[in-house]
Amino acid sequence: MWARFINIGIGLWLMVSPAVLPLSEKAAEHQYLVGPVMVAFAIIAISEATRNVRYVNTLIGVWLLVAPWVLGDHSTLETLNVMAAGVLITGLSLVKGKIENRFGGGWRSLLEETPEHMQ
Amino acid sequence: MASINSPSAVSTDDPPGWTYNPSAWSERIPIAAAAVIGLGIAVYLSLFQLNVVGSVWDPFFGSASSEKILTSSLSRVLPIPDAALGAISYLLDAVSGVIGKTRRWKTMPWIVLVFGFAVGPLGVTSLFLVIAQPVFFQAWCSLCLASAVISTVMIGPAMDEVLASLQYLQRVKRSGFSVWKALWGDAEINRQVA
Repeated sequence: MWARFINIGIGLWLMVSPAVLPLSEKAAEHQYLVGPVMVAFAIIAISEATRNVRYVNTLIGVWLLVAPWVLGDHSTLETLNVMAAGVLITGLSLVKGKIENRFGGGWRSLLEETPEHMQ
Repeated sequence: MASINSPSAVSTDDPPGWTYNPSAWSERIPIAAAAVIGLGIAVYLSLFQLNVVGSVWDPFFGSASSEKILTSSLSRVLPIPDAALGAISYLLDAVSGVIGKTRRWKTMPWIVLVFGFAVGPLGVTSLFLVIAQPVFFQAWCSLCLASAVISTVMIGPAMDEVLASLQYLQRVKRSGFSVWKALWGDAEINRQVA
């Protein structure tokens, strides 16, 4: 739960930071794009049945680590901002958190030979 | 297996292998309530887009910023204003959320799937519109963001019920019955398949 909320906060920070820090238009637009996507998947991952969409944020986090070089033209500040967000969101998206309920084997059961909900 | 100390854990309405019933009213009412709030916001915003109200309330970015978004070219891409489309989607969410009894994951899989498909695309569209606001129009719209948050918050809680229905249809298929009939709630299949 807390891992998801921190990731929501990081996504919001990426959306807000162009208004707070002196970022270039290119860096700002990149953050306007990834910020809301991170927030959305972090929100959906709060629910136990859809917890594993957190791995989408793992991918986004890894992207943030290389984005300054792939996109180019990132100042030191822009690079630090995006990479710090990338490190945090990658780590936190790997935190599974508590799963208190069972879901008949979950989504993967739909592809299994002997799903849990049929045993 | 450790049982969870929630009241629904003993309910016979739980799908096989589940610790609670995703079609219980306690699961569905909050989602429907969120949809109704979203509907209210979307109706208000579409009234502005249809020139019924003259200005839009925006405590954070100012009315001018909201109105820039709501009168943008993107908001007019479709034959009806985008907020009106949102209102229709929220209405579909709310209606498909409350139709059916507490075993509807099994007795009415079709409405559960309609519900799931109604909640999903609304969230995706909202996400796109949130990205479009600063990137294309350099402006924000508080109520549009609130609507986007509501539509995103609904997705996770709605999907467990979809999973329960899909698992039921999987059991139907493995048991050799018609998935098509089961989708529409065939009573005989309901009796035969858990």
